[in-house]
Amino acid sequence: MPFRQRLKAVTLPLTILSWVLLLLSTLSHTNGQVATRLGGTWPEWITLMSQAAFAAFVFIYQRGRPDPLHGNDFVGLLRRLVLGPGLLATLCVSLHLIERFVQAELPTNDETFYAFIYTANLALFVVFLAYTNYSWRSLVLFRASLKLRRQWVWFEILLGFTLLFRLLDWVPPHPFDYFIVGGLGLFGVYLSGNQQWVAYLNRRQKWEAVLLQIAILLAMTVFVVYFLRIRFDPKLVAPAPQHAFLLLNAFFGAFYSFMGLLVTIFNLPTASVFEQKREEILSMQRLTQLIQKGQTEEEVYAMFFDSAVQTMDADAAWLTLETEEGNTTEQQHHVSPEQIASILELLQEHNLQHIEYLNNDLSGSNGFRSLDLPYGSLVAMPLRSAKRRFGALYMLKENRYGFDRENLSILQTFASQTVLSIENLQLVHISLENQRVQEELKIASIVQDSLIPKNLPIDSWFDISSYAASAKEVGGDFYDFLHLPGRQLAILIGDVSGKGVTAAFHVAQMKGIFHALMQENHLARSEREKFPVPSRFMTQANTALARCLEKAAFITASLYIIDYENGGFVFARAGHCHTLYYHSIKEEVSYFQTAGLGLGIIRNESYEKHIKNQFYDYNPGDVMVIYTDGIVEARNALQEEYGEQRLLYMLEQTFSMEADEIKEQILADLAEFSAGQPMHDDQTLLVVKFKSAQPDGLN
Amino acid sequence: MKITQHASADTLTLLLDGELDASSSVLLDTELTKPETLQYQKVLINCQKLNYISSAGLGVFISHLQQFQDAGVKLVFFNMQEKVHNVFEILGLDTLMTIVPSETEATAI
Repeated sequence: MPFRQRLKAVTLPLTILSWVLLLLSTLSHTNGQVATRLGGTWPEWITLMSQAAFAAFVFIYQRGRPDPLHGNDFVGLLRRLVLGPGLLATLCVSLHLIERFVQAELPTNDETFYAFIYTANLALFVVFLAYTNYSWRSLVLFRASLKLRRQWVWFEILLGFTLLFRLLDWVPPHPFDYFIVGGLGLFGVYLSGNQQWVAYLNRRQKWEAVLLQIAILLAMTVFVVYFLRIRFDPKLVAPAPQHAFLLLNAFFGAFYSFMGLLVTIFNLPTASVFEQKREEILSMQRLTQLIQKGQTEEEVYAMFFDSAVQTMDADAAWLTLETEEGNTTEQQHHVSPEQIASILELLQEHNLQHIEYLNNDLSGSNGFRSLDLPYGSLVAMPLRSAKRRFGALYMLKENRYGFDRENLSILQTFASQTVLSIENLQLVHISLENQRVQEELKIASIVQDSLIPKNLPIDSWFDISSYAASAKEVGGDFYDFLHLPGRQLAILIGDVSGKGVTAAFHVAQMKGIFHALMQENHLARSEREKFPVPSRFMTQANTALARCLEKAAFITASLYIIDYENGGFVFARAGHCHTLYYHSIKEEVSYFQTAGLGLGIIRNESYEKHIKNQFYDYNPGDVMVIYTDGIVEARNALQEEYGEQRLLYMLEQTFSMEADEIKEQILADLAEFSAGQPMHDDQTLLVVKFKSAQPDGLN
Repeated sequence: MKITQHASADTLTLLLDGELDASSSVLLDTELTKPETLQYQKVLINCQKLNYISSAGLGVFISHLQQFQDAGVKLVFFNMQEKVHNVFEILGLDTLMTIVPSETEATAI
């Protein structure tokens, strides 16, 4: 609001101006030289006017200043009140003493100096009152209702009106003046009843407040005594100040201070109770904050224990936690393990260890008397949720009847809050763990996905189609291709036992082994030895895997090396599913029945004896179906397996089609068979169809 | 999966009833890991009611194979259903482990 701001800006200069005017006008009434210079006695109304204006501006100025109450710092407010205006009172006294001193040293009739001191002191008093009243306003309006705020404004307005009495030289006819002044005085008494702030002080602060309020009253007395004494001084030439206004303000200021003093003093005995309540609330708050911070369980328990011991003012206490390994004593306070053990044993005997238990007369109950404990009261508070027990808190006090029902209910609140935060922490922990596992699986899945060849080998003499699906996030199936020089193609397929990240890791290992062993050996003496034959490959892979595969894990694999130049292929089957084959010459579909042990089952050189090579000369039109057990072990609603026979039958029906179509037909049949059933295992299917040689292959 | 034990002087017979998958293979592993298992001369596995064996189940037998050999304990499977036998055969385990048709033959070994 511009008007208010403008008013604020001009109040201070106007205050000073009105005071100077008041001073000059007062001086003009004296018998000194100054008066002569001022051109003789000024009219009365100037003095009255400037005096009223000064008082009004000082109050307006104080009113516009920032709230002297910072938060709940009541003692700070009182302290500033004593330091600031208290200083004014000291100044007033010293001015008076100086004046006395000068009077004694240089006896004179000149009233100039006297009048000057008086005007200065009047100004100090007005400032003092304004400062005090607006400090009280902050206290009165502390957490006040709108109604009270409105009442205060009315109080200010009515007080302002009393300024006009002298100004207009109008005194309400008797006895109305008494009614008006008395009424406003009562209004001030009524407002002085608002002393809520006292409740927010702790014991020490209350003592401090008492002393400060006495100091304020003393400062006020100094002014009042001064003005009362000077009233009858023959040298007083100045007009009496605006009585009603200053009197009422002084009355209110003093009365509020006095009331505050009384309220604080009467509140002193109950301060400890308030403090305890405050402590309870603060502990509660701390406990709640701790939950939001998501600290560790240990911290929550420690916090709970400390808060409870502090709030209950227990002489001894301990916290027992129930874990999977058994009960442990986590926190101890002035109690020995022997005492804990004996009390717990006694409670257990009476089957009281899991319930809320209060015994306020330990010396009166037989069991506890025999323990000979130096305590009179015991309370046990279990920590439990609907689902499980977390432990219990035990507290002891030396005197009998140390705990009351109210204590119990606070403890209950503490306990439930603690249980809540512990459960929250556990939930957060679990969800974080889940998230971590999910994240890991996702990564493993991405890794595994990258291990599956994206591009199928293309050449004019064969046709390949592939299909791979994972049962869960990460499976154990794998396959890979490698073009070898001289129009040879190596195909690896396999299945790692187990699932998840470990399986993915072994798949990656298998691929590494595949690519490492399928390197050309330049030292080889013959063409045949340049690349390891499948059985040799399996033996070497077995040796490599023996060291890193966990005990119960194994890998099944088949390696095929197809040689176009010689029109044949060689393969070895290490425990992997049999190869399904369509022989175009014989027009027959069958499985290659070869022996071969899975990798990692025997982890020494003797593995060599368990793996064989199988050679076969293929013809154009032959079809090879390579797959993993996820295909033949897929189940239907009756829990029957798809089986090798049905797969064989499917190839019998489809061998004349292209590789892609054969694959699609088999998959469609598989989907029909296992409709509505969850996928049990990873499924991988490769169909290779050999074609007649074409002169210009896309090698 | 239910595992029933039957022990005589030198022979421990385990009857496997149900499907030996990833979760139930843990049970079997616990049985075979017991130190007293290695004190028998023979451990016979009755597979009559074993309907399915997963790679985890096979893994349990594989992981104990070496240990049994070292301790001189004979591990013998009998009454194996055709499809379960097929799984053992495909993996090549039939060459490593003793699989006989009936209990009589198993005890005779």
